[in-house]
This record gives sequence, structure tokens and C-alpha cells, in this order.
Amino acid sequence: MHSVFSVAVVVTYVVVLTFVAWRARAAREFREFSLARRALPLALVFGSLAATYVGPGFSIAFVGRGFNSGFLFLGIGLAYSAQNILVGLLVAPRLRALKNCHTLGDAIGQKYNRDCQVLAGVISVCVCTFLAAVMAHAGKVVLSDVFEFPGWSSVIIVVGVTTLYTTFGGLRASVITDAFQFSAFAVLLPIMLLFVLIFHLNGGATVFAREAIDATTAGFGSTSSIEIIGLVAAFLLGETLIPPYANRALASRTTRISRNGFILAGIFSMAWFMAMVALGISARSIIPEGTGEDYVLLKLVKLVLPAGGYAFLLVVLVSVVMSSLDSLLNAGAVAFTQDIVKPFVELPDHRALYIGRTATIIIAMIAAAVVPFVPSIIDGLLICYTIWASAILPALIIGLWIKKPRPLAGILSMGVGTVVAVIAIICLFVFPSLIDVPAIIIPALGAALLAYVVGHWIATIREERK
Amino acid sequence: MIGVVIIVLVVIAALFVIVSGLWVARALIAAISTNGSLPDTQNHTDEQNSEQDDSRIKNTE
Repeated sequence: MHSVFSVAVVVTYVVVLTFVAWRARAAREFREFSLARRALPLALVFGSLAATYVGPGFSIAFVGRGFNSGFLFLGIGLAYSAQNILVGLLVAPRLRALKNCHTLGDAIGQKYNRDCQVLAGVISVCVCTFLAAVMAHAGKVVLSDVFEFPGWSSVIIVVGVTTLYTTFGGLRASVITDAFQFSAFAVLLPIMLLFVLIFHLNGGATVFAREAIDATTAGFGSTSSIEIIGLVAAFLLGETLIPPYANRALASRTTRISRNGFILAGIFSMAWFMAMVALGISARSIIPEGTGEDYVLLKLVKLVLPAGGYAFLLVVLVSVVMSSLDSLLNAGAVAFTQDIVKPFVELPDHRALYIGRTATIIIAMIAAAVVPFVPSIIDGLLICYTIWASAILPALIIGLWIKKPRPLAGILSMGVGTVVAVIAIICLFVFPSLIDVPAIIIPALGAALLAYVVGHWIATIREERK
Repeated sequence: MIGVVIIVLVVIAALFVIVSGLWVARALIAAISTNGSLPDTQNHTDEQNSEQDDSRIKNTE
């Protein structure tokens, strides 16, 4: 009976997703593939942004962190909410106001020069590919755990289905399926939280508060100050305007929608983190102590939900994974076409669309091949955040705000930021006991900022001499 | 007392997330019922919207 119900839930989900993807229709030109014709309304920009950032890190891992560290991670997560709101107020409208801009690389190219655009494109494609590998890894964990499939077949199913609709529909299909997936998990996971609070919380509010205080105290006890500072820095800066978010800022119908989409996504993240951490805390009185962080949500669902609970979880978690994966595949493909190929080759529109589609498939295949090398969901994400924040953010944000950005400053900042971040990550694997993952973002970002200042200063002196 | 306050905040957060999900679902239905063409409620073209926004940004600068 359980298996029949599970299969019915999964089949219904796949049928509805297919219908939604079909209604999103295939992209007919590159502008449609990359920017959805710049016609996205507020609800879809917001839903797609939230669906993209609520990946396995902000759901499975946050429930696990709530289980072990209580509200500590809610405090850290608020840095992420602040980042979204600041991007909405200060950066997104300026980005959206740029003409003929498809990617962040385009924006950097317009502010600096072609070399900077190509370097930004290469970094964007690499970061999108590795982030896609982290999402595929999470999909493998979920499918293998629920259906006991071999790991490789789980990766092929998740990556294959997502690649199919992203390749044909481009950003429009990604945004519309994101909205569907967002609606699924934004309704189902909080309902599960309310279900646990009402029917499974023995001892009521008093027990919940005691568990929250115990877990939070334990969290502060086991996390060093430098680790907390590093985590706050990673959440504040690491995911700022990664390519899929920038694409949504650029694809908004108006600058006002672009700004409000990010502000709403920031406010939503506060409520989301609160709900996920609360699920983790409520699990403390239900599942055994010492359960691995990545398995807290899975075990909780297994224990508390009625028949078909695992199928329900599958729908929610596959939605979480696929909505992030499709955005990354599309953003990587658009960055490849626009920032790496177009600066060197004159491309007619149909050719650009063809290259974009081919790039989607190739990035998906590379991401699937990299899955065995992904350390863990959180560590994989933090590594990508470190590279992105130090390589791109100083050049992008300063470039959007100052009157005359110098190309030398942009190149130096992106180059030094990337090299320092990669060296720090290599050191992390060679000397794991000496370096905290979250802390490496600080020296890498500092080096990139310093390189920017030096580059700007040298370029200014050169100009004055001329 | 603190327990009740925390639970109330958690329930408000959960309800806010659910309402957000329903709002996006409504927009999704509107989008797919027009075959994914994402209509503008004021019948403006993309270019008209962009021009209006650009002039707004220039004015604020």
C-alpha cells in the first residue's frame, strides 16, 4: 500500500513538472534563452531567486545545524538575508539598468574591458559547474537514500531530467519550473513543521524552548569565534550575485521589480531559516542523539510522517535540488556563450542559441563527472563561495559604483582573488587540521581588495604621466 | 513564557513561508495559462518598461 502511494506521488509530481516545463515552451532566440526577454514579473523573480538559493545547503544542512547548534545558525543565516536586501537596494537596480547586458561578465566588460569580461566568464562557468556538481551530489544522496538506487544512476536521473528542460527552455523554463518547485517545498516543508509541533512535540513549548537553549549553548561551545566570523563573512558575501541571481536581476521586467525581488527574497530567507532551524530543534526530542547532520531531516520524516512520507520527502527534496541545478546550468551556459565565445566570434542569434544549448549539456556532463570529488554539501558550497566572493565581487561592486573603473584594477583583483582562494582551498585539503573552511574567505577577499586598490593606483599614475 | 514566544515566532515564520509559496503558485498559474508569455498587466512592451526605469534611475542620480 505504501509503495503504491509513493509511486502515485512521484508519478503525479513528474507529470505536473513535465506539463509546467512544456507550457514554458522552448526558447526561440538567444535573448529568450538567456534573459527570458526581460519580462519576468515580481512573483516569478522572487520565487525563482528563493528557489535557487534554497538548495540542499539551506534545507537539509540547516535542519541538521538546527539539530546540533540550535539558533546559532539562524543568527549566521541572517547575514545572508542582509546580503539579499543590500543587493536589492544597492546593486540589482544598477545592474538591470545596463543596456544589452546578458551576464555579470557583460556588466564587467561594459565597465572595464573585454579581457575582464572573458576572465569573469571563465570564473562564472567554473563556479557554476562546481556548484552544479554539489547539487547533483545532493540529488544522489536523496535518491539513493529513498529508492536505494546506485549512486551513478541517481546522478544520471537528477542531472538528465533537469538538463532536458533547461536545454530547450532556457531561463524561461528554469524560472517557471523554479516557481513550481518553490511552491511545492515552500508549502510542504512548513506544513511538516506545523505537523511535528502539533502532534509530535511531547512537552509542548517548554520542552521546545529547553531543547533550543541547550542546542544553542552547545553550538556556541563547539564553534570558535573565528569560525563564526568566517561563516558570517561566507553567508554575507559568498553567494552574492552568483551568475543565476545576476541573470534574474537582469531578466526582471523593470529595475523596480529587480530591486523588490531581492528585498523580498531576503525577507523570505529569514522566515525560511527560522522554519528549518525549528525543524532541527524539534527533531532533538524525536530522533536519536548523534544522528549525522545530513540525515536529520530524512530520519525525522521517516519517523513522524504517515504512509508515503518518504515519497513526500522525495518530492520536496528533489524540488529543492532541481530548482538550484537548472538555474546553475542555464547561468553557466549563458556565461560561456556571452562572455567566452561572443567576444571572439561574431555570432548570429540562432548560432548563439545553439551554442548555449550545447554548453548546457556539456556543463551538466562535467558536473555529473565531478560528483565523486565533492567533499560534502556545506563544504562544497563554502569552497565555491570563497572563490566567487574573492574573484568577482570587489571588481563588480566597485565597478558599478565608481565613475571610471580601471581595467588593470579589475584584472588584478579577479586574478589575485582567484589564485589566493585556490591556494587556500588546496592548503585546506593538505593541512585540514590547521584551517577552517569558512575562515578562508577572509584572506582571499582581503587579497582581492588589496589587488584592486594597487591596480587602480598604478593605472591612475600611468594616466597622469601620459 | 519564552517557550511560547519562540513557538509563536516559529509558527508566524512557517505561515509566512506557506503564503509566499501560494503567491508564487498563483503567479505561475497566470504565466502558464498564457503559454509562458509572462504578460505585462499594463500592456507595456519590454522596451517601454526599460526606458521608463532608466529615466527613473537617471533622475535619482
